[in-house]
Amino acid sequence: MKRLIDISKSITLFLLSLTTFLFAFTDRIVLPVWLQVAGKLHPLILHLPIGIIVLILILVLLRSQFESEQFKKLITYSLLITTLTSAITVFFGLLLSLDGEYGFDALQRHKVSGLIIGWLSYISLIFYQSSFKQKALKYGIISVLFVLLIFVGHTGAELTHGENFVFSPLQVSEPTLNPENASVYQLAVMPILEKKCFTCHNESKTKGKLLMTVADKFKKGGESGLAFITGNPDSSRMIQYIHLPFTDDNHMPPAGKTQLTEFEISLLEAWIKSGADFTKKLGEFSLPDTFVTLANQAIKSKLQPEKVEYNFESVSAATIKNLNTPFRTIFPIYAKSPALEVNFFVSDYFKIEALKELTEINKQIVTVNLSKMPITDEDLKVFSSFENLEVLNLNFTKLTGPGIANLKSCKNLKSVSLAGTKITSESLLPLLTLPSLNSVYIWNTNITDMQKTDLEKKYPKINFLLTQFKDENMVAISRPNLINEGILQKEDKIELKHNMPGVTIRYTIDGTQPDSVTGLIYQQPIAIDESVKLKAIACKSGWYCSPLFESSVYLAGVKPEQVKLLKPTHKKYPGTGAISLIDGVKGYIEEFKSPDWLGFIDTSFEASFDFGKNATALNKVVVSYGDYMNQGIFPPTELQIWGNKQGNFKLLATQKIAAPKAYNPLNVSFITASWEKSNYSTYKVIVKPNGKLPQWHGAKGQKGWFFVDEVLFY
Amino acid sequence: MSKEFTDHRFHLTRRHFLGKLSLGLGSAALGSLLIPGLFSKSETTTSSLGLPHFAPKAKRIIFLHQNGAPSQLESFDYKPLLNKMAGQDLPASVRMGQRLTGMTAGQSKFPLVGSYFKFNQYGKSGAWVSELFPNIAKVADEICFIKSMHTEAINHDPALTFIQTGAQQGNRPSMGSWLSYGLGSENKNLPAFCVLLSRGRGNGQGVYSKLWNNGFLDSVHQGVQLSSSEERVLYLKDPEGRDRADRRNMLDKLAELNDLNYKEFGDPEVQARVQQYEMAYRMQTAVPELTDLTKEPDSTVKMYGSDCLVPGTYAANCLLARKLSEAGVRFIQLYHQGWDQHGNLVGEMPLQAQDTDRATAALIMDLKQRGLLDETLVIWGTEFGRTNFCQGDLSKENYGRDHHPRSFTMWMAGGGVKAGTTYGETDEFGYNILRDPVHVNDFHATVLHLMGLNHEQLTYKHLGRYYRLTDVAGKVIPGLIA
Repeated sequence: MKRLIDISKSITLFLLSLTTFLFAFTDRIVLPVWLQVAGKLHPLILHLPIGIIVLILILVLLRSQFESEQFKKLITYSLLITTLTSAITVFFGLLLSLDGEYGFDALQRHKVSGLIIGWLSYISLIFYQSSFKQKALKYGIISVLFVLLIFVGHTGAELTHGENFVFSPLQVSEPTLNPENASVYQLAVMPILEKKCFTCHNESKTKGKLLMTVADKFKKGGESGLAFITGNPDSSRMIQYIHLPFTDDNHMPPAGKTQLTEFEISLLEAWIKSGADFTKKLGEFSLPDTFVTLANQAIKSKLQPEKVEYNFESVSAATIKNLNTPFRTIFPIYAKSPALEVNFFVSDYFKIEALKELTEINKQIVTVNLSKMPITDEDLKVFSSFENLEVLNLNFTKLTGPGIANLKSCKNLKSVSLAGTKITSESLLPLLTLPSLNSVYIWNTNITDMQKTDLEKKYPKINFLLTQFKDENMVAISRPNLINEGILQKEDKIELKHNMPGVTIRYTIDGTQPDSVTGLIYQQPIAIDESVKLKAIACKSGWYCSPLFESSVYLAGVKPEQVKLLKPTHKKYPGTGAISLIDGVKGYIEEFKSPDWLGFIDTSFEASFDFGKNATALNKVVVSYGDYMNQGIFPPTELQIWGNKQGNFKLLATQKIAAPKAYNPLNVSFITASWEKSNYSTYKVIVKPNGKLPQWHGAKGQKGWFFVDEVLFY
Repeated sequence: MSKEFTDHRFHLTRRHFLGKLSLGLGSAALGSLLIPGLFSKSETTTSSLGLPHFAPKAKRIIFLHQNGAPSQLESFDYKPLLNKMAGQDLPASVRMGQRLTGMTAGQSKFPLVGSYFKFNQYGKSGAWVSELFPNIAKVADEICFIKSMHTEAINHDPALTFIQTGAQQGNRPSMGSWLSYGLGSENKNLPAFCVLLSRGRGNGQGVYSKLWNNGFLDSVHQGVQLSSSEERVLYLKDPEGRDRADRRNMLDKLAELNDLNYKEFGDPEVQARVQQYEMAYRMQTAVPELTDLTKEPDSTVKMYGSDCLVPGTYAANCLLARKLSEAGVRFIQLYHQGWDQHGNLVGEMPLQAQDTDRATAALIMDLKQRGLLDETLVIWGTEFGRTNFCQGDLSKENYGRDHHPRSFTMWMAGGGVKAGTTYGETDEFGYNILRDPVHVNDFHATVLHLMGLNHEQLTYKHLGRYYRLTDVAGKVIPGLIA
């Protein structure tokens, strides 16, 4: 045993001497890497001597409980371990200090006192081993050791955790700065640095030799250079470090410490960009400046912290799940919030029980949307127990007013939407004394502009919203709609529609213009016996009549057995060949590239229609064409119809159209010709395109296109 | 997909299990080596999908996409210098050799041209709005203009795909799909993501269904395009001679058959299909209630302009968007075509503005008077801007502008944005961004933030890595948020 003690003592003496020596020549030391690891163990090892010194103190106080020989042994061994571990701790500590990330003064205090503890524990070990009898001195030295220990421990803790670590919770946080005297830096930037940077970059702990707490030092930067480059956040080291990935050693704040928020990063960037100024006050910046905008936001949010947290308990996920139906959805306002939002949908499926069942979770509900549900005044009683309700949407419900008094107990109500209900100004009164209420939506109710103004005067804190829309001008109503476009069969009738209630539709099918007094009034679907050009308008009192609605309505004709193109189409617009002329499918001229259309430009359109041996007597042809003048697609100039009875074609009729004088709106129209009724077996139709576009057209003088989609015979 | 395969492996009977994994625990251990996620928590349980990450400012979005790129210089970004310098060449120091499209790269000169239309300041905020948009000007105080948007693509298709899906290639989920995935549907009787198309009178550019595609996400998140006809959702009516009870009965039987199929193959598409059938059934009641325009008060019709009663118009789509949003549809995407004014800008832009201005402003006012503007985010946007110089012939009466991705204007209203403000600024030539640029990724990050989602946490694992709407970029712009 004695041997072991001697060896330990020698090691201790050696380590202490070495440490003291190294301490004296700190500047000259270059630390090998493996020893740096030993240094990192300092914060671990140091707990051993601390624990044992405290133990020794307790033993000394309880010494009457032990036999004196035993006591001496106990203390000696304890002191032996203390000295050994202290020496190791002190040595490791010195290695750690060589990392150079600490402020000089605080570190020096820690080092010196640590060394003293090391030596003092060694001396006390010698004391106790010797036959030295001075009891007061013996116990005194332990007390000194203990006091020193507290000091060393404290200086060490300050190095690791920052100054005033222990008492910081007791301190009054951030002395309030007066926005008028303080610089924007102090108001908006420093609080961020204080929280996220100062703990490691202050006077006592100056990691990377960067001292941020003092403006001048901060500007000078640290060991790797400037921390920021004024006006250039992207090249500034501190911003670059912030954006490094977590895995990078240089990422700031280091992994494990509280990170900067997106907003804080933007603010720091904006601060550097705007000149990294430390002294200017709010009014002294030249505007606009992103930094000032963001700083203002930061200052404001600090003054009025946003309250989104709720202090009531959350209900279980199972409860919420059970209450959810396709017509009543309930969910937390965000993932971890206890506050719930409830929406009702599809009025046909609404039952009042669905609302009453919510009493189970009445404490948690903050938002209820009952818009368009058949809720009556009576039904609002449910809400008297909803003490945390903040937003209530009752738009287009069946409320008339008296039920609103039931909301009086919803003390946290902020916003109530009552648009489209029959409530009156008086029925609102019980609601308006609620302390948090700030918005009441009363558009489309019985409340008039005057009453609204009165309410606003009496309750200036509440925003009453009627409507922003003010337009005294009369405007035109929209056109009526043709429901059954395309080709009508014999028994079909033209159906017109307008989506606004109370509209009168007037129409003509003879080519004349209808207006608010002329034209037929549409009362029932219109029967037709030929293809017609329909013109219609919609009128309603309080509105101008609609613009003219025009459409060609086609009636199905007698279908030929065969159809043949006598001259080919233009190669770009072949459609599906001749057959598309009699397939009964109309095209839309906007989609003139679709297979419904055959296009001609260099040649006229010539096709023969064969009705076979049993041809019926016919007397009329309708050729449907597209009109899209912007694209050069024009109405034709001439239609010829030829009939063939015994092998000879005979010209039956010719129809010409005058060239248009201006752009027509896009449309599909038709040209028609009739002859004396007879049963020809084959007909030849020739249509001539507009060969020379008029002067007013962008492509004047060039050839016009002719697009045909259907040819009908009657 | 890997999760589905993993799930499928669990759908085994005991007999199968013992039969197939006859090596027992050893195989299971090997299995855990091969499928690293087997014994860890599955993704869906750890991330709380279907709910916002934090308290959202907005619950729903209506995105009014002006397809083809309306010129910012004739709408909201007022640059009087261009009028002063009209006809002069764009200084090379401004363009700095930045790329042009093939349509103008061959031009020997780049004559600057100012707005043909007059600008004025409106509202308490003093926002600059051109005379083409008199109604939007009236609601300027509800709007947060972003003058400093910029994008990466210079042609319609990639740029449009980029702003809609966060990538130019066209195989990623659309913004609406991401929100449907992240937040789920408020109203289980309607799709969470609806698409409405309309066509203006100007030079048009197409829209394609890939823009509202679910990409690698589950197909329930795909955008549902509503028809432009009277019947907004086709085939919802019960066929003649069949009533609702018959249909219920048929669906129940069909679901049983589908379930058999699912148990055998474990294809998640089977379940998705069953869910779609169920939703369609509920839509039979929910949709007619919604698309019935005849119950709107006359004042509302007047506010939107009476075109809102003609299905397929922009105004009708705005009104329908309000109704869908009111009924809990998370994301409503409008596309209005016809904004690609390479030439005849002076002729076409007023027509386009006429078709959209009144209804756009009405949508904002309508949401406001119903108390819904606070929780609904309205976005007016496009794929890129237009050049400050003329494409083709420049005359006193007419000109055209080419594509310009380096700066353009978008705006937002409602749902937690800073109303009555302007964010960012372009230089006096309206070419480069001077201050506070907002990249498309940043814009997406900010929109997700407003909806209570952290854009870095809303992820989906696909082809071995996690994808986001903002992919590997984007940051929230606090300056846009109230």
